[in-house]
Amino acid sequence: MSAAKPTADAEDVIVIENLNKWYGNFHVLRDINLRVKKGERIVICGPSGSGKSTTIRCINRLEEFQEGSLVVDGVEMIDDVKNIETIRKDVGMVFQHFNLFPHLTILENLTLGPIWVQKKPKAEAEATAMKYLERVKIPDQADKYPGQLSGGQQQRVAIARSLCMNPNIMLFDEPTSALDPEMIKEVLDVMVELAEEGMTMLCVTHEMGFAKKVADRVIFMDAGQIVEENEPNEFFNNPQNERTKLFLSQILNH
Amino acid sequence: MKEFEPVPARPAPDKTVGPLAWMKENLFSSLLNSLVTLAVMALLVYYIPPVLDWAFFSANWQGTSEDACVREGACWVFVNAWSYQFFYGTYPVEEIWRINLMLVLLALVILASFTLPKHIRLKASVIAWLVLPLVGIALLDGRLLGLPVVSTDLWGGFTLNVFMAAASIIVAFPFSFLWALGRRSNMPFIRSVSVIFIEFFRGVPVLSLFFMGSVMLPLFFAEGTNVDKLIRVWIVLIFFMSGYMAEVFRGGFAAVPSGQYEAADSIGLSYWQKIMLIILPQVIKVSLPNILATFVMLFKNTTFLLIIGIPEVVQTLQTALSNSYWLGGHALEGYLFVFLVFWSSCFSMSLLARRIERQMNTDKRD
Repeated sequence: MSAAKPTADAEDVIVIENLNKWYGNFHVLRDINLRVKKGERIVICGPSGSGKSTTIRCINRLEEFQEGSLVVDGVEMIDDVKNIETIRKDVGMVFQHFNLFPHLTILENLTLGPIWVQKKPKAEAEATAMKYLERVKIPDQADKYPGQLSGGQQQRVAIARSLCMNPNIMLFDEPTSALDPEMIKEVLDVMVELAEEGMTMLCVTHEMGFAKKVADRVIFMDAGQIVEENEPNEFFNNPQNERTKLFLSQILNH
Repeated sequence: MKEFEPVPARPAPDKTVGPLAWMKENLFSSLLNSLVTLAVMALLVYYIPPVLDWAFFSANWQGTSEDACVREGACWVFVNAWSYQFFYGTYPVEEIWRINLMLVLLALVILASFTLPKHIRLKASVIAWLVLPLVGIALLDGRLLGLPVVSTDLWGGFTLNVFMAAASIIVAFPFSFLWALGRRSNMPFIRSVSVIFIEFFRGVPVLSLFFMGSVMLPLFFAEGTNVDKLIRVWIVLIFFMSGYMAEVFRGGFAAVPSGQYEAADSIGLSYWQKIMLIILPQVIKVSLPNILATFVMLFKNTTFLLIIGIPEVVQTLQTALSNSYWLGGHALEGYLFVFLVFWSSCFSMSLLARRIERQMNTDKRD
């Protein structure tokens, strides 16, 4: 299917068309077109400053954009608080620096959204939170504070915090870049498991092993544009663009 | 394959720990250092005994009038005889339980803010702090509770300093937070109003504000209304304090990483939920030392109220010093007493603040 075709497909949960963004006069995102199907796993890579983080941050409106359109689960992203809140409830996000709330315990970090945004009773929210903490394999840390956990544990808590909101789409913004090498695996394991369960995922990462293993599509960005997108096997073994070849040779052979 | 065996930890060598090592390290590390240490010790030996002698050994403790002060030391009889006025001003003796009750309530609310079970602590203490000034005014004034009315002219002494400072900071607290939020706002009107307000009250001497409160503020009230002088001063203190605290909060806002806002946004919290649940607790935590410093400043500034004739503790002391029965020159004792009272209150507040900081410090591993 050609990505430029404007007809909406019922299966597409994210439809980005001709998205353009400027910081002041600096043109950071240029004509981004992207469609994501339900259950699709997409890895976005590219050199720093290429706009990959900015692109996924537009999807839950952590960044505004000036031109183009963005539809998430049938809701158009416009400058309206209601729409933004609806989309944010639908989209979970995991950050490079975890961004757990340091003044709340792990359990409180997880139950905050369900209690205040979804208005769930506390007991129910806590039960859900414990379920997800078990899934990320740290139920014993529930009463500690984020500062008492290792980086890998904090990132797994951050994933669990997003999952507690029961999102349809998960965004990962370089989730392993701030971690010690020994902790990357425990986070990636959780992400692989999540992918295998059919979660729609957009992941900015340089973990090419992860991309090969789970991605349905790999997108390479440079200078605010999508340079190349392909399924992982083709992408890594037979890149079509010179720029992609150069990038891959730099990150794979060191 | 070789097994990895960690070397067991050993205690530090004896000559680097313990009091003797500390003294050698800090007091006698070099010839110059030793000389300075000895010189300072000599000065202390020379000056401390006469001071102790004046303040304690040759001081006058017993008696009720100036005639009791026969020994050459300090005349603590003066402080003792006036202690009621120093603490309570001219508040009627038979109603004094109201002030004492108020002090107990204040202490209880402070205590409750730290000792209540965690799940109700925040809610309960916020309510208690907001209700406290109203209870205080009702109790001290009396008319709402059906007690004999005590006019504010009779309020005075150190307890007035305490109440004015406490009542101001409680009301100023939410205001200053709003000013600080306003200063960060994207809306130009709100931002400029906040900046003008904050900079005005920070840039003007508090004394001139007190004069304005007592002289100019009545001009703004409707004709015929007579707003109590203490209330006018209270308003001035609230404005003054909230201007300063807004800047303290601004520093606190700057210290919260932008990732916290983004995380709160990404789980779908509304603006006010984000501010109240995520940002405010972290802002208060980092601002706490400065909030306390601002409060101590305000507390000490309440002595300036003597300029506009409000009988706070220093004003009361001056009245006592000019009393015809006590003309023997007791200023030293009197001011030392005021120093001691203020210093011990401020110092215990710093101790308390350090405790809160430790309690709020969740960054460290246990």
